[in-house]
Amino acid sequence: MISIPRPLIYIGGVLASLLLIPPFAIGWIRETQSTGRPVHIFWDMDMQPKFKAQAPSDLFADTRAARPIVPGTVAVGEADLDPHWSEGVTANGDWAISLPAQFKDVDKNALLARGQERFNIYCAVCHGYAGYGDGMVNRRAQALMDNADGPPNDTSWVPAKSLHDPTVRPQPIGQIYYTVKHGVRTMAGYGSQVPVEDRWAIAAYVKALQLSQDASLQDVPPDRRAGLKKP
Amino acid sequence: MSRFLFPRWSNLLLPTLLMVGAVVPLYAVLFVAYGFSPKTLEVGYQPNQPIPFSHELHAGQLGMDCRYCHNTVERSGFAAVPPTQTCMNCHTGIRPSSPKLEALRESATTGNPVTWIKVHKLGDYAYFDHSAHVNRGVGCVTCHGRIDRMEVVYRYAPLSMGWCLDCHRDPINNLRPPSEMTNMTFDMQSLSREERESLKSQFLIKPSEDCSTCHR
Repeated sequence: MISIPRPLIYIGGVLASLLLIPPFAIGWIRETQSTGRPVHIFWDMDMQPKFKAQAPSDLFADTRAARPIVPGTVAVGEADLDPHWSEGVTANGDWAISLPAQFKDVDKNALLARGQERFNIYCAVCHGYAGYGDGMVNRRAQALMDNADGPPNDTSWVPAKSLHDPTVRPQPIGQIYYTVKHGVRTMAGYGSQVPVEDRWAIAAYVKALQLSQDASLQDVPPDRRAGLKKP
Repeated sequence: MSRFLFPRWSNLLLPTLLMVGAVVPLYAVLFVAYGFSPKTLEVGYQPNQPIPFSHELHAGQLGMDCRYCHNTVERSGFAAVPPTQTCMNCHTGIRPSSPKLEALRESATTGNPVTWIKVHKLGDYAYFDHSAHVNRGVGCVTCHGRIDRMEVVYRYAPLSMGWCLDCHRDPINNLRPPSEMTNMTFDMQSLSREERESLKSQFLIKPSEDCSTCHR
């Protein structure tokens, strides 16, 4: 038996155990989240002196690289020359009661399907999927208002209207469109979030939704009536 | 006569050195391969944002669709971080004076943007296009993970070139019907092989591996 000096064994043992630390550290880093900026080892051309969408910039006081549009700018094709299309009102200032002429050749079922999808994204959060004003955001806001110690953090919430409310149901499609674009009372306008075609699709779907909750048997096509359940 | 003699144990030095010489390069290769990988360095990046916005609350509990805020995702390459106005749609009424919303109030007053910290950052030479993916069957959850469970968003996928190419070479397992695009809980296993194939042909999916697909 060769006798190796004890110190050498210890040093070797310590070095070998040190080698175990990196694998455990790597495993730990992989399995946990960290708030620290990621270590960047291969820089390549990852950071280039250019701006991508919504990038910050020190050049401007507001820190935006993308410059806000100068007020009054009209992009090509975005001039509001057709009040029916852009505001939902006819030439003589009444609410439009029909879809704008731009939808003449559009498949109406596809339009309503699009409207349903958009409604469920942007409107149902407050108005609810069926339009009764029971969306999840509205419910949470109501719960805050009913808080035993008073509404927290100055919460003040006007309940979202039911779209089947007697004051809402008779509204013409143009007025619904206008409300989607500009908002009404405490509801914010969605003109910047929803493009004009989708606003009309939503307005059309809202009219269909209102009809669906206020329909008689005569409104159902005869060949579909058999499939309806008696209440 | 005293003459220095190497002790007997020194005979072990050569085999030990050979062993170390064999192990250390392997160790170094593995260390770089695993330690420098984006899966280690980038995944899990969870910066503190100027507003402690909870996706878990908004997208999870309240069930808000991703597109309510990230509304450009279907039309543009960039899934926009919403402007302050989108937050104010609700927060003019809900908890307007909450201390957590300090940065939001400041932004609404001054008109300066909230300085959100980008979590999913690509190299500046890569041009990912959201609209090309989400409109053709790649769901949000595939690359972003269960955002609806994240109190604070962290990076879920490595977003490395190899990771992109994995899917570009074999996209079939990551395709879903476009109606389920933002559905975080859609069961991908519920699609049969035929349904996936038909999605692939429906959307004419032939993912390119050309350099210029992503790099310009």
